[in-house]
Amino acid sequence: MAKVMVSLPDDLLAEVDAEARRGGTTRSAVMRDFADAALRRRRENRSAAMRSLLSDASPHGGRAAEQVKATRPGP
Amino acid sequence: MTTLLLDASVLLAAFDPEDDHHESARTLLEDEDATLATLDLARYEVANVAVRAWRAPNSVTPLLAVVERLADDGGIVPSTDTLLTRATEIAEHHTISVYDAAYAAAADEGGYRLISCDERDLVSKDLAALPADANKEGSR
Repeated sequence: MAKVMVSLPDDLLAEVDAEARRGGTTRSAVMRDFADAALRRRRENRSAAMRSLLSDASPHGGRAAEQVKATRPGP
Repeated sequence: MTTLLLDASVLLAAFDPEDDHHESARTLLEDEDATLATLDLARYEVANVAVRAWRAPNSVTPLLAVVERLADDGGIVPSTDTLLTRATEIAEHHTISVYDAAYAAAADEGGYRLISCDERDLVSKDLAALPADANKEGSR
């Protein structure tokens, strides 16, 4: 596991430390858990949005990579 | 966890059930365990295919919405001078277009894994992995 230096405002650090004391854990563990939860939430939000957007996919003949090349500006 | 950089072909394949890579592209876009990004060029390319090839201008809005959801996840890489200089080198080396090379350069510069349906110019040259292979160890 990598060790990093992070700059935080004093009041945010105080909240992180309070959370660590409350949970009986370390400052590092709290920040790790919060970062993991935030990134997971972001991925879950994207996934849900994609399911909705892709629900009305319709047939267009396939060959997406070829179609991208065919519609690019010519030389 | 490696961020996956998707090119326009993956976004388009996810919207087209007739594409050979449709299911794997769609599964990837809906994957809750992957962080996904793209290049700003994808906006133009998906819109261009929807209008010029699919003749489906109504598809532009949802396609661009997909790009915006990636902006909220792993982000949209901007095409800077530095990136296009690197893309030019890759294009020369692999004899591919600067458009394709721009995605490879973006992946290279950002430490991302490039995912594409372009077997001829990207996957066969080991510059990208197919959507079905996105999460396999050892694939680019």
